[in-house]
Amino acid sequence: VEDRKQRVVVVGGGTAGWMVATTLVRLLPHACTVQLVESVEIGIVGVGEATLPHLRAFVQTLGIDEAEFMKTTHATFKLGIDFRDFGRIGTAYLHPFGDFARPVNDVPFYHYWLRMRAEGRRDSVFEYSVANVMSAANRFAPPATDKASLMSTISYAYQFDATLFAPYLRAYAEARGARRTEGKVVEVEQDPQSGDITAIKLENGPRIEGDLFIDCSGFRSLLLGGTLEEPWEDWSPWLPCDRACALPCTPLPGPIEPLTRATAMTAGWRWRIPLQHRVGNGYVYSSSHISDDEAVRAITGAVEGKPLAEPRILKFRAGRRRNGWSHNVVALGLASGFLEPLESTSIYLVQAAITQLVELFPHGGIEPADRNEFNRMMDLEYERIRDFLILHYHATERDDSDFWNHVRTMEVPVSLEEKIELWRKEARVARHNTGLFHEPSWVAVYIGQGIVPEAWDQRADAPDSTSLGQGLDHLRAQIRQVVATLPDHREFIERRNAAIAEPVT
Amino acid sequence: VTTAPERAIRSVLVAGGGITALSAAIAFARALPNVSVSLLETPLDPGALVDRLPGTMASVHGFHRRIGVDEVELVRSGAATHVVGTRFENWGEQSWYHVHGDYGLPGTGTPFHWIWLAAWKAGKAKPFHLYSAPAALAAAERFIHPVPDPASPLHAYDYDLRLDPSRYCEILSAVADRYRITRERGGLEGAERREDGGLAAVRLKDGRRIEADLFIDACGPSAPLLSIVGGAFESWSEALPCDRLLLATSSTATPTPTDSITAMPWGWRWTSPGSSHSLQAYVYASTISSEREVRIASGGDAEAISFRPGRRSEPWARNVLAIGDAAVVVDPLYGAGSLLALSAIQRALDLLPGRDCYPLTLREYNRLTEAEALRARDFLSLHYLASSRRYGPFWKAMAKRDRPNSLAHILRQWTYRSQLPFYQEASFTREGWHAVLLGMGVMPRHIDYRASALDPEQCALVLQQTKEAIAKLPTALLPYPDYLRRMIGR
Repeated sequence: VEDRKQRVVVVGGGTAGWMVATTLVRLLPHACTVQLVESVEIGIVGVGEATLPHLRAFVQTLGIDEAEFMKTTHATFKLGIDFRDFGRIGTAYLHPFGDFARPVNDVPFYHYWLRMRAEGRRDSVFEYSVANVMSAANRFAPPATDKASLMSTISYAYQFDATLFAPYLRAYAEARGARRTEGKVVEVEQDPQSGDITAIKLENGPRIEGDLFIDCSGFRSLLLGGTLEEPWEDWSPWLPCDRACALPCTPLPGPIEPLTRATAMTAGWRWRIPLQHRVGNGYVYSSSHISDDEAVRAITGAVEGKPLAEPRILKFRAGRRRNGWSHNVVALGLASGFLEPLESTSIYLVQAAITQLVELFPHGGIEPADRNEFNRMMDLEYERIRDFLILHYHATERDDSDFWNHVRTMEVPVSLEEKIELWRKEARVARHNTGLFHEPSWVAVYIGQGIVPEAWDQRADAPDSTSLGQGLDHLRAQIRQVVATLPDHREFIERRNAAIAEPVT
Repeated sequence: VTTAPERAIRSVLVAGGGITALSAAIAFARALPNVSVSLLETPLDPGALVDRLPGTMASVHGFHRRIGVDEVELVRSGAATHVVGTRFENWGEQSWYHVHGDYGLPGTGTPFHWIWLAAWKAGKAKPFHLYSAPAALAAAERFIHPVPDPASPLHAYDYDLRLDPSRYCEILSAVADRYRITRERGGLEGAERREDGGLAAVRLKDGRRIEADLFIDACGPSAPLLSIVGGAFESWSEALPCDRLLLATSSTATPTPTDSITAMPWGWRWTSPGSSHSLQAYVYASTISSEREVRIASGGDAEAISFRPGRRSEPWARNVLAIGDAAVVVDPLYGAGSLLALSAIQRALDLLPGRDCYPLTLREYNRLTEAEALRARDFLSLHYLASSRRYGPFWKAMAKRDRPNSLAHILRQWTYRSQLPFYQEASFTREGWHAVLLGMGVMPRHIDYRASALDPEQCALVLQQTKEAIAKLPTALLPYPDYLRRMIGR
């Protein structure tokens, strides 16, 4: 006997809301009905333009054609994040998507580099990242599936117009049976005994009942934070940035960089994300270190193109709701927590929560063990990302402003302190098999921000210096050679767009 | 001259009397050519299951490739035969097979267990193992090395090696010589401590002393070196009840690539027919049955071996690293101990600290090792604590036992929604769990939504075609003894 369908009510129609709606109608149409409530008056945050490679799996799951999707959302390819002035003013490095070359004799490549560096070799480990060499040359081609090819060591993500992403998903979801209701939630009804939410009432009268409520109401966290009063865990002592000033600009002629740029500023950092039709810019800053006016002046002075809109200020704070799933409410995106966009993790966190929700989707009543499992997995995600973000601020020599003095000298979570120690002393990256940011990502930020360990894997001592040096020379030349044959990023995109406009018959 | 070599380990002393010690010494000598590796050959501990029993898991192939041991040579010298599957009998209502590999035919796309569950819900599925190519080979007692063509159903599986401990040791011994590992012989008398609490040197009964930067204790469950510097023991007797084994060999065997594990009223019997002899192990819990009762089945000549399932809570303490039964003792089902030993050796190399044995590195090593050990424990425990068998005193006692929390969680996820939660460092695959759960008849109340969305008729058709294609596979293959002869060119 199959259970009746679960009535899922999604509150809020931004990126998170439509991502969960599309996933449910695509993967679990026989298990649930989906109704989404959104209000045009409230609008969406929608500045998020940067994503991580995981989003490709989402696009694939929905069965969307990538080229068409990218054309609609004016998307570009992203091979990594180019960090400038973080470790020290004047420095730059790419957090590349993909690996540094390949392990040799079970030993990750960078250990050989560390050894040769100690022996006096003067090149950068980033010269051995194919994604880095590609993005520096503004070239792009998809990764190779053949493991023997150097092109198999890269990965990529999208940079897109988030305000076009949600409508794109909305069309997809509505075509597959999701119902959308316009209106503001004015009242939430709870079961007096269990405290579960039974229905929401909208401004103009309609009352919507549900079995499972997905809170995608953004920072307001209407159901989880509001009705259910799930406590807030504050992470702002470690991540003090609490405002962003967004300023999209006209595109620049010439090559499109296949990367997001993050440039450290006096009281935070600014993003620069080239899309097909514009360049997204914004200054993420700490309001206790500079005023909004100063931030607006700083970003206005820093952008290259002509502004397409007035500077827009967004407020937030770093932290999360203790549990993302409480009673029969699952919060996604900003309604469940916020980590600043330094590593483009917002959409990833939505996606990760959706993946867990699909795995643990209730059959009939919600089992406490499922909630616990969901919260356990999301705890892992949030805490690892938190530590990784803090590292970008903490691993610095900068002492040119109060902001940088604060983050450089602050006490960091013990979990991060130990990770840094393990790296500094032994060149090891703590391992985990799930979630975000694996060994190459940590290595990139550590080395890119000036934490170069005193040690390396002892197995890297096996080859003699001369042949190891020659091996590195050869590999570097090989990477350059491979990259030189790749198409220009802009041309690659334009060719794909053109192929969609005029389908070959 | 650089800073790292100043902290680098210069010498390693491995102590032990069997496969574990040799494997560790060879792996370290190969990976670290600038380090002096010595092997102190201590008498074999009779309770060291990894050194005594013939089971290995498929992970041994990677190790052999690394150290240059050729499988053909192993087979030719009688040190190894293949195990493509293990038949489990009398554990539940029907037999099932443990194999390494995918179920279904290549290119199905949808996870095969979803297809099976959807058809099962409609009453149209036959036993799960009938849809596995290696299980079909195991049932027919045939073997072939996986073929390179990815479209073939004989492509995506792996196999274990059934090793003859003494012959295998001879081969490893020759490899150890190739890597110029220094051999020392003699009983351990005691040890000298360093100021920081670690070991400075071991003293032998003949009065000699041997210094090293790192000591590897592969001496078996007594862990004489680790015990000096720490090594509290955490017992798993609740989760893994068996603690006695009667070991018998018979010489009149034809080798087969199929082991069998049969549940008995007092525990279980393992039959492993190798090339020169067949081994039988009778495994039971001394708290439930007496040796006399089990001897009725084993016969009088069988050697009695005691063991105590559990783990050292800190397998790497100071500059002493315990490997094999010195670190963790698991139930002999599947020969999981050898899998954990090889994995520990590789992990130690992957995390090798400087000779000060930096505590954070050891903690990371111990954290990962614990996660892996607990996952293996839960998988083995599943066989005892989730079986529906009630016949016999052992099984009646099992029915009353509490499950470890982590296993209870896994079983709940499975029985409620036919899913297995994700854990770090899992050595047994999801397919392996599915085989045991479905084999023992632990059926889910709800099937995964993505499975229930599939059309049961279509799934039943896929199952039928799969079963027919797989059933035909063994008939084209040589009988195993002929396959072996051809492999070694005789």
